[in-house]
Amino acid sequence: MNDDSFDRSELIRYFKDESDELLQQVDADLLKLEPLAASSRTDPEIINSLFRALHTIKGSAGMLELHDVSAFAHKLENVCDLVRNGRLPVSSVLIEILFEGRDLLNAYIRAGVDGTPVPQTGIGFAERLDTVVLRLSGPEENESPQVAAERGGAASAKSRPRTIRVDIARLDVLLDLVGELVITKNRIMQIGTALARDDGDPAKLFADLNAASALLARTSTDLQEAVMHARMVRISGVFERFPRVVRDLAKSHGKEIELTIEGAETDLDKTIVDEIGEPLMHLVRNCIDHGIESPKRRRECGKPEAGRIELRAAHEGNSVVVQISDDGGGVNLDRVRERGIALGLINPDARQTERELLELLFVPGFSTARSVSELSGRGVGMDVVRRAIGRLSGTLEVASRPGLGTTFTIRLPLTLAILGALLVRIAGELYAIPLDAVSVSLRIDAAEIADTQTGEMFAHREQVLPLIRGAEFFELGALPEKDDDVLVVVLRAANREVGLVVDEFVGDQEIVVKPLSELVGPVAGIAGGTILGDGSIALIVDPNALISEVHRGPGSIVVSGAMHQR
Amino acid sequence: MRTTSDTQQVVVFALEGNEFGIDITEVREIDRLVPITRVPRVPAHVEGIINLRGQLVPVVDLRTRLGMPHAIPTKSARIIVAEIGARSIGMIVDEVREVVRIPVDQIDRSEGVLEGLANEFVGALGRVDERLIILLDVERVLGAEAPTVGADKEDA
Repeated sequence: MNDDSFDRSELIRYFKDESDELLQQVDADLLKLEPLAASSRTDPEIINSLFRALHTIKGSAGMLELHDVSAFAHKLENVCDLVRNGRLPVSSVLIEILFEGRDLLNAYIRAGVDGTPVPQTGIGFAERLDTVVLRLSGPEENESPQVAAERGGAASAKSRPRTIRVDIARLDVLLDLVGELVITKNRIMQIGTALARDDGDPAKLFADLNAASALLARTSTDLQEAVMHARMVRISGVFERFPRVVRDLAKSHGKEIELTIEGAETDLDKTIVDEIGEPLMHLVRNCIDHGIESPKRRRECGKPEAGRIELRAAHEGNSVVVQISDDGGGVNLDRVRERGIALGLINPDARQTERELLELLFVPGFSTARSVSELSGRGVGMDVVRRAIGRLSGTLEVASRPGLGTTFTIRLPLTLAILGALLVRIAGELYAIPLDAVSVSLRIDAAEIADTQTGEMFAHREQVLPLIRGAEFFELGALPEKDDDVLVVVLRAANREVGLVVDEFVGDQEIVVKPLSELVGPVAGIAGGTILGDGSIALIVDPNALISEVHRGPGSIVVSGAMHQR
Repeated sequence: MRTTSDTQQVVVFALEGNEFGIDITEVREIDRLVPITRVPRVPAHVEGIINLRGQLVPVVDLRTRLGMPHAIPTKSARIIVAEIGARSIGMIVDEVREVVRIPVDQIDRSEGVLEGLANEFVGALGRVDERLIILLDVERVLGAEAPTVGADKEDA
C-alpha cells in the first residue's frame, strides 16, 4: 500500500458520502417534479437543482477517474439541460426514465466505489433514454416502476459511509474543552512540582489539587457530552429515502399511498442512524404489502382510496421513539391464532391475550401472508427485524386496531456509547447489564427453582420465568453449587422476561461502551465491553440475545423445540 | 545504512524452543503479561481481551493457535500487540528476544518450507547466520479462521 492509494480511498469515501446525498436530492427533485409533470408543468428551480446535483456527481467522479460514472451522469445531465433550455417538455415518461437513470447512476457509483460489477442494463438504458428524448413530443403512459423499486430502496439502504459531517460549532466546543483539559493538566503538574520541592503551604496545595480535580471531573463530563453530540446526526438521512420507496412500491402494488414524515430533524447517534435504515425499510414494506388494502377494498370499507403511512421520530426522555403506522386493516388476530395453532406455537384450548398473539409475529418463520409476496418475501421475517433493532439496544413492538391500522414502535437509546449498568459477577468475571433491561434483582430460595423439561423455571410476580445460569450460558466452567440462596437478575426485553443467575451484585455504574474487536466477535449474548475505574474490563450482557436464545415465552405459549432451534 | 528494500526488520520471539519472527512494521508494541479478561464462546485460541490504554484488544495464545502444547506463562512471557489495518491484536509468546535485520535474499518464501507445525501460518523462513527464523504471516494467524460462534445465520 502506498500513500497515493490511501489518499484515494479517503477521497472515494467522501465521494460516496457526497453522492449519496446528491442522489437523495435527485430523488427529492424528481418526486417534486412528478405531480407537476402530470399537468405538463415544470419548475425551473427544481430542474436547476437536479442539474446541479448531476453536474456535481459528474465532476467529482471525473476527478476520481470513475469514467463510467461521470459518462453516465453526463447523459442524465444533458437531458436536464434540454429541459432547462425548454427544448424538452417534462412528462411522466421522462420522470420515470430519470428515476430509472438515477438508480443506474447509483449502481454505477457503487460499481466504481466498491468494485462491484458494472450494471449490464446500462447500454439498453441509454438507447431507451435517447428514444424517449426523441419522441417526447407525444407523451404516453408506459411505465415499469417495478425494476426501479427493486433497486432503488435496497441499494441505497446498504450504503453505510463511515464518515460524519460535524457542525463546526460543535467542534469548537470540543476544542474549548480540550483547552480546559490542558490548563487543568498544567495546574496539576505545577502542584506536583511544588510538592516535590516542598515549596508552598501544603494545605493550600491540597486545596488547589482538590479544585483542579473537581475542574477535571467537570471538564471530562462536558467533553464526553460534547463528543457524543458530535456523533449525533439527524434521522432525516434515513427518512429521506422513504418517499421514493413508498412511491415505487405503491405503484407496483397498484395502491395509492400518502406518506407523511414527522420529526426528521430528530438527532440520533450516528451508529444507530446507519443501522436503522434496513429494519425501517422492512417495516415500511410490510405496511405497504400487508397493511394498506387495495383501493377497491378501501372503498368498500368506506375509507379514502389513498392509504396513509406515517413515519414519526421524536425524543422521549433518554430514548428516541420511531413509529411507523398505517391506516390499513390491522393485524388479523384470528388468522394469527389459526397459524399459531397450526405451527404448534399456542395451545388451541387456551385463550390468548391480544398481546400474546401479536408477539407471535416475531417468532421465526411466522408470517400471516397467504401468498408470499414478492415484496416481503425476501427471506427476512419480523424476528430478524426485531433482532436487528435489538442489536442497537432498541425494542420493537406492534399494536393493531382491527380495520384501522397497525403501528410499529421502535424505541432506541439516544446513544450507544454510554449507558447505566448493573455490575454483577459471574464465575469470577465482571459483567455489566444495561439498566434498561433490568426489571428487578432479587434473592430467591433455591427450593423455589423448578426443574422442568425445558430447563429451570421460577415464579416471579405470578409468572413463571425461565432461569439462565450465567456461568453455564457464558461457558465459564462449573461454579461452586450454592444450596441456599440464589441471586437472580430479572431481565426484560421485547416483552419477555428471564432470570439470570449471578454470583454477586456489585453495583450500578455509568459505563462507556466499547466494541469487542471483530477479531473476536460477534459473541452471542455479549454486546461489548467496558473499562472500569481501576482499569479492569467488564463485558456487557446483551439482554435481547440472551432472551431470544432462551426463547421461551411466558404464559400460554407452548415451546415447540423444532421451531426454536437455530 | 542499508536501505529497507534489501533487509527486513523482524521482531524475534520464542515459542516452544523455536524462533519466530514478525515484520516490525506489523508490531505496535510489546507488553508484559497483564490480567486477561475471558470472553465466553470464542475459539479456544482466543484468551480474552485486555485494556490497552482504553482500547479493548483481543489476545490470542500463539501456542494454542499454532497447535503447540499449552504452557503456563513464565515471567519472560510477553504480549506482542500487532496491528492489522486499524485492528489490534495481542499475541502471547514465551519470550521476546531481539529485533534483527534479515537480508531479503536470505528469506525463503517458497510454499511448504516447514512441515507439520501449522504450516499454513508461515509466511517465509529467514536465515540469520546459523539461525532459522520462522516468519509468521500475522494476518493468516489471526484471520484465517474467523470465529463463527454467535454469527447470525439468518436465511430462514
